[in-house]
Amino acid sequence: MSDTKKVMTIEEKLDLTKFTSDHNYAHITIDPAICKAKCTTHDCVYCCPTDCYKFIEGEDAEGPVSYDYIACLECGVCRIVCPHGSVDWNNPKGGFGVEFKQS
Amino acid sequence: MSEEYDFEAIIVGAGPAGCAAALVLARAGVEVAVLERGQYPGAKNVSGAAIYGPVLHNLVPNYWEDKESFERHLTTKKITMMSEARTMTIDIDLRDFNQTPYNGITVLRPKFDRWLSEKAEEAGAMILPDTMVEDFVWKDKQIVGIKSGEEELRAKLVIIAEGANRILTEKAKLAKHPHAHHYAVAMKETYELPKKQIEERFHITGTEGIGNEILGHSRGVPGGGFFYTNENTLSFGLILNAKSLADKKLKATDVLEDFKNHSYIRKLLKDAKMIEYSAHMIPEGGFKNLSKLYGNGVIVVGDAAGMALNAGLYIEGINFALESGRVAGEAAKKILESNNYTKKSTKIYKNELKKSFAYQDLKTFKRAAKFLENERIFAHYPELINGLFYRLLKNDGKPREKITRAAIKHILSRAKLLGAIKDVIGGLNSL
Ligand SMILES: Cc1cc2nc3c(=O)[nH]c(=O)nc-3n(C[C@H](O)[C@H](O)[C@H](O)COP(=O)(O)OP(=O)(O)OC[C@H]3O[C@@H](n4cnc5c(N)ncnc54)[C@H](O)[C@@H]3O)c2cc1C
Ligand code: SF4
Ligand code: SF4
Repeated sequence: MSDTKKVMTIEEKLDLTKFTSDHNYAHITIDPAICKAKCTTHDCVYCCPTDCYKFIEGEDAEGPVSYDYIACLECGVCRIVCPHGSVDWNNPKGGFGVEFKQS
Repeated sequence: MSEEYDFEAIIVGAGPAGCAAALVLARAGVEVAVLERGQYPGAKNVSGAAIYGPVLHNLVPNYWEDKESFERHLTTKKITMMSEARTMTIDIDLRDFNQTPYNGITVLRPKFDRWLSEKAEEAGAMILPDTMVEDFVWKDKQIVGIKSGEEELRAKLVIIAEGANRILTEKAKLAKHPHAHHYAVAMKETYELPKKQIEERFHITGTEGIGNEILGHSRGVPGGGFFYTNENTLSFGLILNAKSLADKKLKATDVLEDFKNHSYIRKLLKDAKMIEYSAHMIPEGGFKNLSKLYGNGVIVVGDAAGMALNAGLYIEGINFALESGRVAGEAAKKILESNNYTKKSTKIYKNELKKSFAYQDLKTFKRAAKFLENERIFAHYPELINGLFYRLLKNDGKPREKITRAAIKHILSRAKLLGAIKDVIGGLNSL
């Protein structure tokens, strides 16, 4: 069906969204030690709409998931779904982060 | 309060709730500032969106005369049940909704919020974008201002309008950390399509528009899709209960792609070009999970208080935000006049809100939240209904059954009848 591609990757989609990234401040951080010690469900990976949370493979990994704040849409859901309080969620500093134009 | 203050009222968040409160207060001559963390009002905000015209008209009389205020007015509502290979759509053509103030209109939030904030600004409110409120200034057990970076601003009254991610409401001790099953993650894609093509495809002219709610095909996760026409764009998205996604170990992004690839959705979006991807969460805990609405020196409006309804067939929140903001503005005038900002006085807001449709609707639909947690509705019924019609319509050369008999047989073969009856009763009670 012409230009509506079958499956769009999240990277392709995010290219369309404007971000003013704050490279000096991660507004969200996780505590890999908590994830490693307590988590069996990894809710963050399933709920994040931009795949900021990813499983990490390997025995020597710091924790079961990695997190990158750069493509965060600030939806807020990871703060709520994490059952172990591993997510430290703050708003980006004023003027930083995502900037929607047509949402 | 005899001390110095920077503003009589400070509002945190320039969404519909914050802007409505600011507009009412500024019109009354109150010194009010709205602090917004986004690059401009609306830059962080996502909705479908369809809103009720009369609610907006009540706040900004004759809003439709200003073309900036809305995209299209709704004359067609479609409800679609979608399963793997079949779809059924109820198509309600409401030409009588062609009259102003229009029953429903579609909006895009970056444009709508900016427009509404300009109305508040024209009335005398100060709108401060790029400003993120981190915490409150407390005196004894009363909130007397806000902190943003190095700065502190003092106010007699603070109105929290921060939206669904209610970090400050929790800091103000008016709500606890929420449960995941009371929130949905909502993903939205905006598409560009020339105006002429939109009008031809959906049989609309002028500023007429359509809205389509779509149930089913979300892999059994409670939620649903939405589709709205704008002037020259299309809004499409999927709302999914957060807890259910995690429990089923389904990735939100995968469920969305799968949903979008259904032939029904592909037809809606044919030839259209995606221009933006966005996401936000929606409170869906309903009346029982509202935050406390007032405290010493503070009141809460809109999504921050949990004032949204997501009942599958409709998503409402902007109207509650506009209305609770308006009521908060009216109440704040009285609170300021009383010169008392303790709970005793800020309670005025809750008392006033109780009289308004916002509070009453949330109360009326209080069972909807529970009803929506029932996964049968989303996993089985679209399939069941489509299957029934398939059975009724299919002609394989054999004599056909009477409709009622076919229906009963079909339901008995697919669902546990008792469960189905309970769901129907539950559904009627919740709506
Ligand atoms: C995909 C989707 C579709 C929807 N569709 C519809 C629909 O069709 N109809 C409908 O009525 N509703 C719909 N809703 C619900 C609707 O979006 C919300 O109910 C509505 O936005 C609530 O308005 P609000 O003003 O309370 O909060 P918001 O619109 O969230 O506004 C809050 C504002 O506060 C700002 N803010 C937050 N924290 C701070 C801080 N610390 N400092 C400074 N600023 C801050 C934010 O940047 C934001 O501008 C939908 C929601 C979603 C996600
Ligand atoms: S962030 Fe929370 S949900 Fe995600 S892996 Fe860590 S503990 Fe689990
Ligand atoms: S706020 Fe939303 S988009 Fe950002 S990391 Fe959390 S879940 Fe992902």
